[in-house]
Amino acid sequence: MRARLPDRDGVVRRDGVRVAFEVFGQGEPALLLIPASPITHARSWKGIVPALARRFTVITTDGRGTGRSDRPRTPERYTPAEVTADLLAVLEAAGIGQAVLVAHCHAVPWALRLATDHPERAAGVFAIAPAVALAPPYPSAVDAERRWADPVEAPAGWSMRNRHFWRQDGGYRQWIEFFFGQQLPEPHSTKQYEDTVGWALDTDAEAMIAEREGRDAPLASEAEALCRRVRCPVRSLHGSDDRCQPVARGRRLAELTGGDLVVLEGAGHLPHSRDPVKVTRLIAEFAGKITGTSMHTTTWTRGPCRPPRTLYLSSPIGLGHARRDVAVARELKRLRPELEIDWLAQHPVTAVLDAEGEHIHPASQRLASESAHVASEAAGHDLHCFQALRRMDEILVANFMVFQEVVEEGSYDLVIGDEAWDVDYYWHENPELKRGQNVWLTDFVGYLPMPDGGEREAFLTTDYNAEMIEHIDRYPWIRDRAIFVGNDDDIVPDTFGGNLPPIRDWTTEHFSYSGYITGFIPPGPDEVAPLRAQLGYRDDELVCVVAVGGSGVGQSLIEMAVAAYPLAKKTAPELRMIVVTGPRIDPAAFPQHPGLELRGYVHRLYQHLCVCDLAIVQGGLTTTMELTAAKRPFLYFPLGHHFEQNFHVRYRLDRYDAGHCMDYAATDPDLMAAQITELSGQPVSYRDVETDGAARAAQLIAELI
Amino acid sequence: MRARYPDSDGIVVRDGVEIRYERYGDGWPAILLLPAWSLVHSRHWKMQVPYLARHFTVVCFDGRGSGGSGRPAEASAYSDAAFVSDALAVMDAAGIASAVLVSVSRGAQWALRLCAGHPDRVLASVFIAPSALLAPPLAERQVQRFDEVIDDPVGWQTYNAHYWKTHYPEFVTFFVGRMLTEPHSTKQIEDVTGWALETDGETLAATDGAPEYGGAAVTRQLAAQLACPVLVMHGTQDAVRSHGEGEALASCTGGALVTLAGAGHFPHVRDPVRVNLLIRQFADGVRR
Repeated sequence: MRARLPDRDGVVRRDGVRVAFEVFGQGEPALLLIPASPITHARSWKGIVPALARRFTVITTDGRGTGRSDRPRTPERYTPAEVTADLLAVLEAAGIGQAVLVAHCHAVPWALRLATDHPERAAGVFAIAPAVALAPPYPSAVDAERRWADPVEAPAGWSMRNRHFWRQDGGYRQWIEFFFGQQLPEPHSTKQYEDTVGWALDTDAEAMIAEREGRDAPLASEAEALCRRVRCPVRSLHGSDDRCQPVARGRRLAELTGGDLVVLEGAGHLPHSRDPVKVTRLIAEFAGKITGTSMHTTTWTRGPCRPPRTLYLSSPIGLGHARRDVAVARELKRLRPELEIDWLAQHPVTAVLDAEGEHIHPASQRLASESAHVASEAAGHDLHCFQALRRMDEILVANFMVFQEVVEEGSYDLVIGDEAWDVDYYWHENPELKRGQNVWLTDFVGYLPMPDGGEREAFLTTDYNAEMIEHIDRYPWIRDRAIFVGNDDDIVPDTFGGNLPPIRDWTTEHFSYSGYITGFIPPGPDEVAPLRAQLGYRDDELVCVVAVGGSGVGQSLIEMAVAAYPLAKKTAPELRMIVVTGPRIDPAAFPQHPGLELRGYVHRLYQHLCVCDLAIVQGGLTTTMELTAAKRPFLYFPLGHHFEQNFHVRYRLDRYDAGHCMDYAATDPDLMAAQITELSGQPVSYRDVETDGAARAAQLIAELI
Repeated sequence: MRARYPDSDGIVVRDGVEIRYERYGDGWPAILLLPAWSLVHSRHWKMQVPYLARHFTVVCFDGRGSGGSGRPAEASAYSDAAFVSDALAVMDAAGIASAVLVSVSRGAQWALRLCAGHPDRVLASVFIAPSALLAPPLAERQVQRFDEVIDDPVGWQTYNAHYWKTHYPEFVTFFVGRMLTEPHSTKQIEDVTGWALETDGETLAATDGAPEYGGAAVTRQLAAQLACPVLVMHGTQDAVRSHGEGEALASCTGGALVTLAGAGHFPHVRDPVRVNLLIRQFADGVRR
């Protein structure tokens, strides 16, 4: 799922060739993002578009030869004149008079031509890794260029850049895989590599060959003359480890145009993909200066005049942590009554916060929906949550940019992120952006591979764990306090993979344990009956609550429970079933039975769980631990391919001797009905769950302020 | 000891009045730190000069009636036109063709006249706590009667030409207390008081009797002629010039406004870090 969809889109047609574009947001100046097509297309800007579009009008185009544009197959259709005419037509069609031209690699000469031939159209040029012949190319490129048209036998490395080889079966793909392997020298770039290779394969060898042969890139002297004619502001951005374009080219471009150069030390050829936060900020700063929009009416409050403030981020995936975060916030305010707490959260967490009277920061509305993304990644009772998290990359960076603005404008003393992956990740990647004290909360540590993911998935989870461990080792001051919501023996006995340490040892070294946080105190034995009565449940009925959390993943489990209900009722006529669909699934979509009730959002659902005779739930930690704390019998069905539910949660529940783990794939309505009648109302002997977790977590946090 | 000493200094003489100036650094653009009311002299910029001089050429001068500059006795010598001409003469002497102006309080009137009358010499203008005369005086100042003889004046009644001749130090103590309303401002109060006591009540009375110190209409007229970028900073706790004056100036010049919540009348003295960063950011924008 995309972090932001275009506000409008369209296609321009010139001489029968269609070129697609999209327009996002509004605001001056406009930014035209020009990809180095056709090897890549408009999606290559996904990490920077959402944040930029909140301030500027952003126009993206696929460029001829790829994406949603046509793929002409002759070189004369790819001349610089054709491509710049496309760009002008796109601006025209989008109704944009003047724009900052943001171009990458060999798109930079197109931007320079546009800026010199039509100076009234260019408010500035932002050149990323410019492929402009202002300094010698790498020797490898010279070699390959010389032999571009020669027949080659089994080439390797750079000599795969060859028209004959690209036409061979699999040749183009091999080249692309080699090329992007070179262009992302930064460690832990698996997702960026998969993305760029994927975009490159959206076109084919013929379009690529035609573009290459029609490119007619300016020679050194022409390039220099071109640069000297540029009259608008220029910024050149170059990675020090760019293996496609030497940094000297970016430097010379800045010199000749009177612009400035930003070198990203340690970065490769694709900084907008690999370091989207920094690139977004550099573009916004550059564009802001052009119209003077960086200065406006602002307020700066003197340091001593500021009340202590906290920004609390509650993981927006489902309803998972809302209850525990509210409990921690309450305890924190008890310890520090003067503390103001703002919440940066999104639906459905905001529903809980609203109902509890908490203050939700208005910027919350600008967050791209993580819940909707997770729902879109689920199929049936299956959610590959590790891959879903990887594919959430553009949503995470979009939301981080919202967060960073909020935290810079709000002068917060403290940031509490309950599994706020975006903040934790991007503050470690951009440590200079950190503001205030930072508390990290989580209830699991370590990505674990699903067995059927094979070696590749094991490699990926290990790589992600290694990146996290390196982050913490390198910047121990980013997390001022890390709190594990649980105890050391809740942690799985696995390692982080490869040669990485055991998860439990590492976590004990780097975290404090708060114990589990339910966010409520379960009713005592003599409080159950009055609470049941209050919630409308009779003593002589068996109440089975079916709950699937708030993320919209759970339709299949509800369907099975609804089908099992009439079967179970035959043996247990006193059975009453309450199905809570959550705010994202429509209760009206299921068949009706007497004794079966379907509800959307239920405020304080935990109260119902505390007094039920049986619960049927997914394998999420929050709900299963609520049932464990309340000592109710329950069936739980971990989502397929969900490593957290299948490994971390299950391990913890086993430690508490709690619940009956069920395999959804091996369960049918008959089996579920049999389990319902067998377990409803049966006594359980779970281990006690502590009730002081929120207070302990709040104490750990309050020590910082 | 100062944090930084001038790279050059000098004196220009205009109509027989000596004007002492200093020049620091050699970056571009130049920044001209204008005088404020002659109660203080150019050392009130001491928290800005060392930082700004690392990035820009910085020129400042003691306004006539203060510091090392001359102290003519007659009120006519302190017209707005005289201060504007002093500024231009200092720029010439320091070899500065054009500059970003930074003014505080009453300096706003001279900055406005420089911007409107000499646009070729001005790149941009920063106004700190401007005496823009665009909003009614603060309620507590409405007891002020400058030329009347008042028996046992208190509070703003001490803003009085007759009182200054006999009780100048008492007035300074009162007035500086109103300038620096922020808690824990002892050092800043000592500094400003010390600078104020380097001049005298009679001289200060002459500076305030200047005939051209116009009203809202004049300010609006000047503001309408402004073509350069403008940044206004104003404290919400300014007890000398209301925040509304800064707000109105930003609005009628089309400038940016930075509200300094909790700040008083001399934020460049009391909150130098933020003010320095704002000036730097603004001047960097001019540089492009």
